[in-house]
Amino acid sequence: MRILVVEDEPTLATQLAEGIQSVGYVVDVAHNGVDGHFMGESEPYDAIVLDIGLPQMDGITVLKKWRAAGRTLPVLILTARDTWREKVAGIDAGADDYLTKPFHMEELLARLRALIRRAGGHASTELVCGPLTLDTRSSRASVDGTALTLTSHEYRVLAYLMHHPGEIVSRAELTEHIYAQDFDRDSNTVEVFIARLRKKLPPGLIETVRGLGYRLNKAQ
Amino acid sequence: MNFALLRNSLRLRLLAGTLVWIVISILVAGWGLGQLFHQHVEAQFDAELKNHLDQLTAQLILDEQNQAQVRLLPSDPRLNKPLSGLYWQIDRIAAAGEHPTRAVLRSRSLWDETLAVPADTPADGEIHRHRIEGPQGVALRVVERTVTIDTHSMRLIVAANESLMTGPIADFKGHLWLALGILGMGLTFAALMQVFVGLAPLRSMQDALGRVRHGDARNMEGTFPSEIMPLVNEFNAVLAQNAEVVDRARTQAGNLAHALKTPLSVLANAANAPEKRDDDLARLVASQVDTVRKQVDYHLSRAQAAASVQVPGMRTAVEPVIRGLVRVMERVRADRHLEFVFLPDPANPAFRGEEQDLQEMLGNLIDNASKWARSRIEIRVSDGAGRLRVSIDDDGKGIAETDRDHVLKRGVRADEQVPGTGLGLAITADLARMYGGDLVLARSSLGGLQASLILPAV
Repeated sequence: MRILVVEDEPTLATQLAEGIQSVGYVVDVAHNGVDGHFMGESEPYDAIVLDIGLPQMDGITVLKKWRAAGRTLPVLILTARDTWREKVAGIDAGADDYLTKPFHMEELLARLRALIRRAGGHASTELVCGPLTLDTRSSRASVDGTALTLTSHEYRVLAYLMHHPGEIVSRAELTEHIYAQDFDRDSNTVEVFIARLRKKLPPGLIETVRGLGYRLNKAQ
Repeated sequence: MNFALLRNSLRLRLLAGTLVWIVISILVAGWGLGQLFHQHVEAQFDAELKNHLDQLTAQLILDEQNQAQVRLLPSDPRLNKPLSGLYWQIDRIAAAGEHPTRAVLRSRSLWDETLAVPADTPADGEIHRHRIEGPQGVALRVVERTVTIDTHSMRLIVAANESLMTGPIADFKGHLWLALGILGMGLTFAALMQVFVGLAPLRSMQDALGRVRHGDARNMEGTFPSEIMPLVNEFNAVLAQNAEVVDRARTQAGNLAHALKTPLSVLANAANAPEKRDDDLARLVASQVDTVRKQVDYHLSRAQAAASVQVPGMRTAVEPVIRGLVRVMERVRADRHLEFVFLPDPANPAFRGEEQDLQEMLGNLIDNASKWARSRIEIRVSDGAGRLRVSIDDDGKGIAETDRDHVLKRGVRADEQVPGTGLGLAITADLARMYGGDLVLARSSLGGLQASLILPAV
């Protein structure tokens, strides 16, 4: 899962990035509206945390532009003004949820998780695929109740597949969703993570679709 | 009737001023015209009498016995008609050793009367005028002249009833005053029209101002005469400036909030970081940040409301505000699958106040209801006697009667399990009271809480 944080206050942006990374997501940070808009439109994020009061281009405008361009990903807006006018404006511009500053990081993470879950059509915080269970709150995976020990990259690959069960996910797509933008990407490493995951998971759970990518086998 | 009020009435001043001058002008004109006509008729009358006298003088001769004779009698038929009002008479004035004889000759119209003219002795040919009493005691206007032929002096007299002159004058004056009376009424009517039509824009200006005060309009609308338009424009400018001041105050308050809250977020996040859980300082910072946030929220909302309550001409439609807030709730609480039922008032009443304040009050109440509702929220708008009532019912667990007053106090939360500041209800109640309204909590027929917001309507 890859998240974009658009926040101009550097300390808060860092805190947000660290907080979100701590639950197993990959985070990119933009510090102004123009950069944020560009990144949100060109990179495949799974959710965006967007501050309303941004330099160069305000958050509402950025959000409207994304929605006008057909970007349907969940967006959580952060508002400092705490007025209902701003909340209504934000929701009408296409936001999925809002949070008023100052906020508790736990609440932001809970809202973010709920948004990603809702976007994937999942009702519960626990994603289940056959014997495999992924608890998005605690960022833990287990097979038949036995907890798996996963590295953060392995977790990210598995979580992305779990959010899209039965779908074919290309290697490029996986790469884009498990690495931050400025990370030196090498799609071969995805194969390494898949190979490691296969060792830890029951056989046949992750299928390789030749020439296309990987698929989490729902039937099992 | 209040005299001070009358003295201060522009309409009355204009009317009284105009009416006084109309009356004075008409009186002077009537008197002047009457005098002119009188003089004119008198002169003409005298000229006619003198004409007759000249005619008589020209025809006077003495016969062989030195008796006065008139060769050709004047032709005016009135002189032959008894007591017609036009007479002539010739007296003989006593010369040395003679007796004066009155009326040696006279017109037939005198019948057997004679004219008694004061015995003065004018120079020969000189014309004298008199007013005497004639036959039947009628006032006569007289011209006389003494003519001497050889040594015989004679007084030639022509007289006419004064009423022949005063009659037409009286007639004329009657007509004149009637005409002037009609003119006066016409002028008075014109003055009334001028005052009422001329001052009508003031009336419509008052109406326009009233609409502003009642919140039906943001500024004075309509076209006014060029004398009043600058006043209206100035007033609108003042209104606009007022609104701008409020807007600026709000923006500044918002900016302050923004400026404060981002650093507060940083502090709170730092203090709440997992590795600081057991740090006393971190706990202190976290709790103080929370207090600061509450204080900022509370005082900002009050300052913003206080600024706007004083601005006239505010009017906010209720329905779009509620629909906007319901949209927010439906999106934000999508996973709760709440059913929002909105029952608008057919009269579509508007709130007399700022949109943002209405949003704040209703937002807090609807947010509160959607936190506690199990499945259904009903929002009802009703209108009556200048008051607007928005009732929000939920089917949650409600608030016990004994706790209802308590939760309206600042910072008190009925339950700590659902996130919130605990300020919503208190801010809403404060705002409502600032607008002269109220917030009433009661038990809902749906089972939960019914929050009713009562506000001034437009």
